[in-house]
This record gives sequence, structure tokens and C-alpha cells, in this order.
Amino acid sequence: MIQLLANWILSFDILSGMGNSVAWGLSLFIVAALIFAFVAVNAIVLVYIERKVSAFMQVRLGPMRVGKFGTLQTVADALKLLQKEDIIPRSADKVLFIIGPWVILVASVVTFAAIPFSDTWLAANMNIGLFYVVSISSIVVLGIVMAGWASNNKWSLYGAMRSAAQIISYEIPVGITLIAVVAVVGSLNLQTIIQEQAGTGNLFHWIPIPLPNWFIFHSPFLFIAAFVYLIGATAEINRTPFDIPESESELVAGFMTEFSGLRWALFFLSEYANATLVAFLVSIVFLGGWQSPFADYQGTQIGFSIITLVAIMWTLFVRAKTGRLSVYPLGLSLVITISAWLFPGFAIWMASPGIFWMLMKAGSIIFMLMWFRWTFPRLRVDQLMYVSWKVILPLSLINLMGVAIWMWLTGEIQF
Amino acid sequence: MSYFSNISSAITTLVDGMKVTMGYFVRPREHVTLQYPDEVWPIPTRNIGVGEIESYNTIRSKLVVDFEDCIGCKACERACPVDCIDIETFKAGPDEDIGTTKNDTKIKLRVTSFTIDMSECMFCDLCTHPCPEDCIHMTPDYQFISNDNVKLDVTPEERWRDRNHLIYQFSKVSPIERAQRQAEAEKVAAAKAAAMEAKKAAAEKAAATKAAQEAREAEQAQTAAATPEGIGVPIAPSISETPVVQTEPVPVSTPTVESASEPEPMEKIEVPLETISTPEIPEVKPVTTETAAEPETQTEPEDSSKGETENG
Repeated sequence: MIQLLANWILSFDILSGMGNSVAWGLSLFIVAALIFAFVAVNAIVLVYIERKVSAFMQVRLGPMRVGKFGTLQTVADALKLLQKEDIIPRSADKVLFIIGPWVILVASVVTFAAIPFSDTWLAANMNIGLFYVVSISSIVVLGIVMAGWASNNKWSLYGAMRSAAQIISYEIPVGITLIAVVAVVGSLNLQTIIQEQAGTGNLFHWIPIPLPNWFIFHSPFLFIAAFVYLIGATAEINRTPFDIPESESELVAGFMTEFSGLRWALFFLSEYANATLVAFLVSIVFLGGWQSPFADYQGTQIGFSIITLVAIMWTLFVRAKTGRLSVYPLGLSLVITISAWLFPGFAIWMASPGIFWMLMKAGSIIFMLMWFRWTFPRLRVDQLMYVSWKVILPLSLINLMGVAIWMWLTGEIQF
Repeated sequence: MSYFSNISSAITTLVDGMKVTMGYFVRPREHVTLQYPDEVWPIPTRNIGVGEIESYNTIRSKLVVDFEDCIGCKACERACPVDCIDIETFKAGPDEDIGTTKNDTKIKLRVTSFTIDMSECMFCDLCTHPCPEDCIHMTPDYQFISNDNVKLDVTPEERWRDRNHLIYQFSKVSPIERAQRQAEAEKVAAAKAAAMEAKKAAAEKAAATKAAQEAREAEQAQTAAATPEGIGVPIAPSISETPVVQTEPVPVSTPTVESASEPEPMEKIEVPLETISTPEIPEVKPVTTETAAEPETQTEPEDSSKGETENG
């Protein structure tokens, strides 16, 4: 993407005199700014959506006063946070206190450099993309420990220690789960991983249900691996039910306790950047990234017809069971299906890979994370360690072995 | 084996929980938070047997005064059990025309201040019945949030106190005019007090000369010395509160008990005048007796109409 942008800049007659290296540097800066803008806007939008989702799950309305349906609530909150007094405790370690939030933010924003939004929208096409993302995102724990230690506060220190223990524990199953996928593809390049998942095929290669060639449908082991990765990643980004580093009822706000104003906003920004990163990674590794779930436009039409049928049946089932008529899923699927049959162009657009599908998949994963957050109670510290070391780690090891055996049995690899 | 059963039960219970939250997420939101300033619960109506008067059949809340109809009779102030109504009136001149009420009653008193302390009001509705002009009434408006408090004619120092106490000012008289009236009344009072002092001084002098003459004459000195002290000493330095005690016995001789308490709040400044200048008391009395008589005569037909509606 950077080379494309540099070439595009050099294609103008006025700018062509600046030279290749200058154009490269300029486009590098532009791409970095774009990524940061995406992260910032994404956080503002996600905070609003999270508040609305939590409200709807708890039979509330959520923010309603600022803007229509409270849409400008988070913008107002962000403006308020920028104006707030920047308090640094007197007995805090000033240098670490200032650096800590920035380390966390940089670690979570820099990982987006390797995330392919579409086949061309990619800042850096690395051959070790997956490794880069996993390793850089673990630097977040360094910033958390810095912030917790520098605060000179027992709550902050406890939060930081818990966070360090948790992230280190869950790095292992998450890494092993990703290794299972890497074993299938034979590459750490994220673009290669996505391109491997093109087209449609049968479920688990032999069950005759036509499904896209995503790795979640590759084998039963990778199907489990997707959920194992989702659980481990939820723990890594410190979201409920694994939010013991910042558990409000025990440690005031964990490592964020002493932070206020802009520095606190940075924590929030990086939290949602990490959630988005995990969602992107799940959709890249297991859900086909920017690949469309439909092979061609006929597949789109048939696929949406099946979805509409399921929606009709579900609506009738809910109507028979509860007496309520919920028309939104049915209406949405009906509109898409009818337009897919009427306008082949729309169906072709739906069938073509692109950023739309990437954002759709990532968005549904983020919704899943929110769903987790507003459903599950928080785990105790010992339960957290139990889940990590005794359940998820053995499961991921079994998955790794199972995937290898599966590929040998199906003949994907030969010795 | 409990290891695997634990895992399976964990998965099933988590799926159950997720089903519940998704059910609430998809379900149309029927019973949710009332968006208060935009939506308001309907005010409950009821029939308490008063008849067609709409304001009586709703909940009793904010007290409101139609100030154009107020004649300053202070019937409501006296009726209030918690003393939350405070009225300040000044007598209009004999040839001044202030206006008439909707019942064509001539207004004889200038009401410079009519405040109701809503924080003390207990919504008992007792003040609305004695009103001869039906100008004070309770409304179903229960929302005390408004910008009207800003109109209070108080000094900036007092404003904070008044915000806290929810004091509502209904008088349309401007603060400047009110100050003028107060100053005028004080001036008149001061003039009268000065005149009285002069009169008293003359009386004292006369008494003193008389006493001196009598002392010179001979033995009746004890009776002569007692009289100047009793009259002259407490009044001479200033307009003190002691004269009020002296006035009370004077109106007690009037027929009703209600009118007995009236002269005190009616004209605060004139009270000291009455203490010594006895000829002024009959001037005040007709006003008070009229105002006291009107509510009595008007509340009786109301009661009878109530009875009719109940029977009907």
C-alpha cells in the first residue's frame, strides 16, 4: 500500500520531482496517520456501540441525550477527557507514569501495520505478519506493568501483576492455536493465509454441506481452535470475563486507578484497539479475512435465500414460543435477498472480496466479545489460571496434533 | 472424570447465559427508562367530590396566585398553617385608583410583595378557600424546575438562600417601586413619630411643671411622680416593640376574635402610631373589618354549592 501510494504521488507532474525516497517517506507518514485515525475513530464508535449493546442486553436504552439516540455521546466524552486536569501523583515515578500509557498505545496501534484490510489495503506485507502481530501485541503488558508500578498504589500494582500473569499465561495457548493454522498454510504471511481460504467447499472436506473454505470449517480441530483462540484472546485483551487486572469491585480500576484525563483516554483507546485487533485476527486466521463467503453471484443469491428461510423459521418459532414478533432480522435478510435477486450487480459486489467483508467479520467478532462481556461473570484468579493451564493449553496441544493427523489422513501433506 | 463434566457443564451454562442476554437484546424494548423531560407520566385524576372545578379533582401541587385579582386581604396568609405565605401591603391614597378585580372589587391596598415559600408549603389547600376573590389556587403542575426563580426581587446575597427555599414572588410591583413605597411609608411614620414625640415632650413639660408646682405646693408628690414615668420613658428613645403589647388590649374590645389579630400584620409601620394617637385607630378598623367579613360571606355559598353537587 505504501509503494502504491508513493507511485500514485509520483504520478502527478508537480510532485514527480520530489524523488522516490521522499515520496516513500511521505506515503509512510500518510499511512501511519490513516491507521491512527482508524484506531481513534474506531474506539469512539465502539464505545458508543458497546454502551448501546450493554443497555439493550439489560433492558435499558443507553445514551439518549447527546445527539439523536445519543450518537454524539462518546464524542462529548472524548472532548471532556481532553480538557480534564492531568494529575500525576507526587510520589509516583514520573518518567514511567508518563511513558506507560504511550507504550501501551504504540504497541496496540503498531500491530495494525500488518493487518490486511483488503487485498491491496495493507501497510506492510510481511512474510512474518502473524508472528509480528502476536509478538508486538504482547508488549502491551510491559506498558501495563510500567503504569501499575509507577502509580505507587497497591491497587495499581496488583492490577499490573495480575495482568502480567494473565497475559503471559494465555500467550501460550493462543500461540499454539495459531501454530495449528500456520501448519495448515505453511506460511506466516497474513495475505497468504487469507488467499488460502478462497472459494467454497464441503464442511470438513467430506460432509456434503457447501461452505466457504475458511479454516474454521477446515477440520473439527480448527473449529475448536477458533473458539480456543477467541477465549485466549479475550483474556489477553483484559475483557470480561477475564478482566481481573481492572476488576472494579476488587481493585478500584486496576492499573488505571491513578490516571486521569488524556492518559486515561489513551488506556481506553488501546483497549478498544486491542479488541479490534483480536477481531481482525480471528477473521483473518479463521474466517477468511476479506474473502467473500460466496463463490459467485449465484451463490450469493442462493445463500441469502437460505438465510431468509432460516430467518422466517426463527421468527415463527419465536412467535409461537413467546408471542412476540421480532421483524428486524427477517426484514433485513428479506431486503438483501430480494435486492440480490433483482440486481445482479449487487450480488456480484457481495460475492467479490473486499474491505466490506473484512469489516463485517471483524464487527461480528467484536459484537461477540461484547456479548461475552455483558453475559459472563468475572473469573477468580485461581479459576483464571485453571482455565489457562489445565483446560485451554491441553486443548490447544491436542488441536495441534489433531490438525497434523487430519492433514496426513486427508492427503493434504505427504511425507 | 469430573474434569470433563466440569468443562461440559461450563460450556452448557455459558451458552444458556448467552441465550438469555441475546433474548433481551433482540426483544423489543417495552418497559424501559422513562425519558423524563421528553416523556412524562400522565397526572392521575380523581374525583374528590368537589364538583366541576377541575383544579380540585387533580392532584394538588404548585400554588399559583392570579396577582391581578389580589386585594391584599391576607386571608390566605392567616389561613396557612405553616406560614409559608408572606404578603406586604401599603395603603393606597384616598383618591388613588389601583384597579378592580374580576369580581369588580375595588383594590384598596398596594401589594408590593406576595411570596410563597414552596419548600414549606404542605399542599393542604387551606389557603385557597378563604380567598374572597378566588385568586390563589393549587395547580397540578408538580415540576418545580423553572427559570421563574430568577425573577425574585431579592439582593444577590439573598438569591442563594431563595433558590434553596423555593420562594416564589407573585407581586408584579417592581423592586424599585417597592423600595419607594417602603421609603414613603417610613417617612410618613417618622413624621408622625416626630409629631408624637413633640406632643409627648409637651405633655412631659406640662407634667413636669405641674409636678414642680405641686411639689412646691405640698404633700401629693407620690402620685404626681408616677404618671410621667409611665408614659414618657419607654417611648422617648425610639419606636420600640413595647407599644405592640399596649395595642392588643385595644382591639380586643372589637366584636370578633379574628379582627383582633389583624391590626398587627396589616400595616407594620402604623402600629407604633396607634399606640398613642388613639384617634387613628377607628380609621384602620373599617378596612380590617371589611376584609375579615368578605371571606366569611363568600365561603358560605361555596360550602352550600358543595353540598348541592354532592347531592346532585
